[in-house]
Amino acid sequence: MAAPFTLRKIGVPPNSANLTEARRRVFDFFRAACRSIPTIMDIYNLQDVVAPSQLRFAISAQIRNNAHITDPKVIDLLLFKGMEELTDIVDHAKQRHHIIGQYVVGEGLVQNTGNKDQGRTDFLKNFYTSNYF
Amino acid sequence: MGLGILASRTIRPASRLLQSQSSNFFLRTIVSKPELQSPESAAVSEPEPPTQILPPRNPIGGARVHFSNPEDAIEVFVDGYAVKVPKGFTVLQACEVAGVDIPRFCYHSRLSIAGNCRMCLVEVEKSPKPVASCAMPALPGMKIKTDTPIAKKAREGVMEFLLMNHPLDCPICDQGGECDLQDQSMAFGSDRGRFTEMKRSVVDKNLGPLVKTVMTRCIQCTRCVRFASEVAGVQDLGMLGRGSGEEIGTYVEKLMTSELSGNVIDICPVGALTSKPFAFKARNWELKATETIDVSDAVGSNIRVDSRGPEVMRIIPRLNEDINEEWISDKTRFCYDGLKRQRLSDPMIRDSDGRFKAVSWRDALAVVGDVIHQVKPEEIVGVAGQLSDAESMMVLKDFVNRMGSDNVWCEGTAVGVDADLRYSYLMNTSISGLENADIFLLVGTQPRVEAAMVNARICKTVRASNAKVGYVGPPAEFNYDCKHLGTGPDTLKEIAAGRHPFCTALKNAKNPAIIVGAGLFNRTDKNAILSSVESIAQANNVVRPDWNGLNFLLLYAAQAAALDLGLIQQSAKALESAKFVYLMGADDVDVDKIPKDAFVVYQGHHGDKAVYRANVILPASAFTEKEGTYENTEGFTQQTVPAVPTVGDARDDWKIVRALSEISGVKLPYNSIEGVRSRIKNVAPNLVNTDEREPAAFGPTLKPECKETMSTTPFQPAVENFYMTNSITRASKIMAQCSAVLLKK
Repeated sequence: MAAPFTLRKIGVPPNSANLTEARRRVFDFFRAACRSIPTIMDIYNLQDVVAPSQLRFAISAQIRNNAHITDPKVIDLLLFKGMEELTDIVDHAKQRHHIIGQYVVGEGLVQNTGNKDQGRTDFLKNFYTSNYF
Repeated sequence: MGLGILASRTIRPASRLLQSQSSNFFLRTIVSKPELQSPESAAVSEPEPPTQILPPRNPIGGARVHFSNPEDAIEVFVDGYAVKVPKGFTVLQACEVAGVDIPRFCYHSRLSIAGNCRMCLVEVEKSPKPVASCAMPALPGMKIKTDTPIAKKAREGVMEFLLMNHPLDCPICDQGGECDLQDQSMAFGSDRGRFTEMKRSVVDKNLGPLVKTVMTRCIQCTRCVRFASEVAGVQDLGMLGRGSGEEIGTYVEKLMTSELSGNVIDICPVGALTSKPFAFKARNWELKATETIDVSDAVGSNIRVDSRGPEVMRIIPRLNEDINEEWISDKTRFCYDGLKRQRLSDPMIRDSDGRFKAVSWRDALAVVGDVIHQVKPEEIVGVAGQLSDAESMMVLKDFVNRMGSDNVWCEGTAVGVDADLRYSYLMNTSISGLENADIFLLVGTQPRVEAAMVNARICKTVRASNAKVGYVGPPAEFNYDCKHLGTGPDTLKEIAAGRHPFCTALKNAKNPAIIVGAGLFNRTDKNAILSSVESIAQANNVVRPDWNGLNFLLLYAAQAAALDLGLIQQSAKALESAKFVYLMGADDVDVDKIPKDAFVVYQGHHGDKAVYRANVILPASAFTEKEGTYENTEGFTQQTVPAVPTVGDARDDWKIVRALSEISGVKLPYNSIEGVRSRIKNVAPNLVNTDEREPAAFGPTLKPECKETMSTTPFQPAVENFYMTNSITRASKIMAQCSAVLLKK
């Protein structure tokens, strides 16, 4: 009933009717992304840098970031952006340092924030970031 | 009239073609009337314009009028506008009050009148030629006209003469963009010159590493000569020669060693005297000006920091009548290049092999937090530096106290200095109040190197009212007449007992002022000396309800605020028995006194002396990068404003201590600067009222008797090298050049 996800889509599929369909689309997207992970690792030579499970965790963390959203149209738009990003990556439109900086290491990524900051106040978090707050 | 229309009608058919081609073509014929063609019409004067109600005029150029004798006010008319001025005012000052800005080169409101540039010429009714308004006293009923053709022609003429021998240096002159000559020639000069001969040129004089001279550009206004002799008190500069061969210079090959020599750069209206460190660095329109406060000494001169991006390009004085008038000392003006050298930008921890390693803030604070819990509370010591602002000192004191220790003090306050009564560490006659004194007794202080602005004020008083100055201390140079009474406490004893010949002068004075230097706070017999000074004060009626002449001249910008907040040294052995030492910008601490196994944390902005002993370095921001409250030596609270961003990973001082307190588990109850300020309000509310002076509430009568005896060691100078007193000036190349070349050997 819903247009299947293809990595090369022609035309824009119609909006999801309700939340369940949006959920289904999210999981379809996640599956498509995970299935393209081996290609990504091959294109960008990430074999020694990261394990596929880490990349899967990164993708799922970003999806989980928006887990609180209930409006199907918003979810569709986020999926559209996610699909666009995935297409770019698989098309080798990005480069290695982009992937490493955005999904593997670096500040702001979920996998890098450890336990040390959870008990900290806003003051300390701001203090560690910069002088101007 | 009819003839004209007929005439126009005859022309029209011929040009109908032209008219038909473009309907917008407007043909206008010249019409003459019989009234206009008769000769009498030229002689008829214009009807009188109806008397308008002139709009009210405000004084211009920052002029303020003070009527010391209201009956003595004169009324003069400036451009038809009536204005009341006090009796001694000159025509130029009257025009300023009336809101008319008269161009001038040689006149300066704080210097004596020279009247040699002739640019201020205005027309005065009933005077055969235009008068120099800067020199002419305003007489009652004078009618002054500033915008008549005669006045304008005079200005154009003077400008033409000045530009005749002036070189075409605008593209390479530093004063371009802020040059009086440029501005006034655009506003008042004529559009062309008639000079076709060769211009004269003059050799450049070497005045030192601070003032760059291109004497060809000099217009011989003699402002620098008058400044040097009147305000700075040194007769270094003079005018040599006559006529077009006049040259300003020192007669012998002498450098300008005065500590106010940088102010001639501001005073010179053209680019003859410019700042040598700032030469060719920037134009004034690309600089961003920030109005802030100077912290190189305890005076708190108001400055304007000109910055371009992240770099401070120069420092210019700001007008503050009460503190520094329009001048700043050389140290204030040229220390900015020390802000670019030896800066601490990342937190560092000393490795086991003795070298520093840059770490992140998390790790550095975690290490400090660990160590601080392993020492006993009474072994924790905190020392605030000379450039610390009130907020950071408050947070440091709160933190150290919460860790259970009482040992937190500011540099410069030795053991036994008590901060209970504010009069005992402030300048109780304010700095501007010193002008009313008629005799000064300087005890153990050399104001020329300790607080150059206070010295300028004393010089001004001595010059204006011939005040006498007596000095007790090591031999020193003064730029006014000063009697060297003695070198040590013995002289004080004699004056207190009334045996010294200076006592008669003291007794006969109406407003005596005693200035005690803060260098005496470090002596062991400090209480005895202070009690003898107070007995001198009592014997000579120095402290009265209407005049408090007992003053203390502090050395560092942070001292007054530290004493107000209660950062005093309780025990003399605190440093020797410490196991954890927190130095917040404290470089003058005797590093050898710290035990070898103590853990030293240095928080500051320059890698100066104390850094070499530190175990952990926490980078902080300098005074141009933070908003901090400073109290000057007379109790006037002011705030610095950040002009440039912080260097590297540095943070504000109070934020570092607050973060450290959270890591150490004694989280302080405030986390914004307003919170810190409200905490300061509980302790010392005068530090929150910025731009206000809070005088001391009680006098010496409350102090108990002192039983100690004075030792006989003579007083030592508090400042050895005027140009290198704090971490910023010690890192500055200009200050190093000055101290190598300009200090009197």
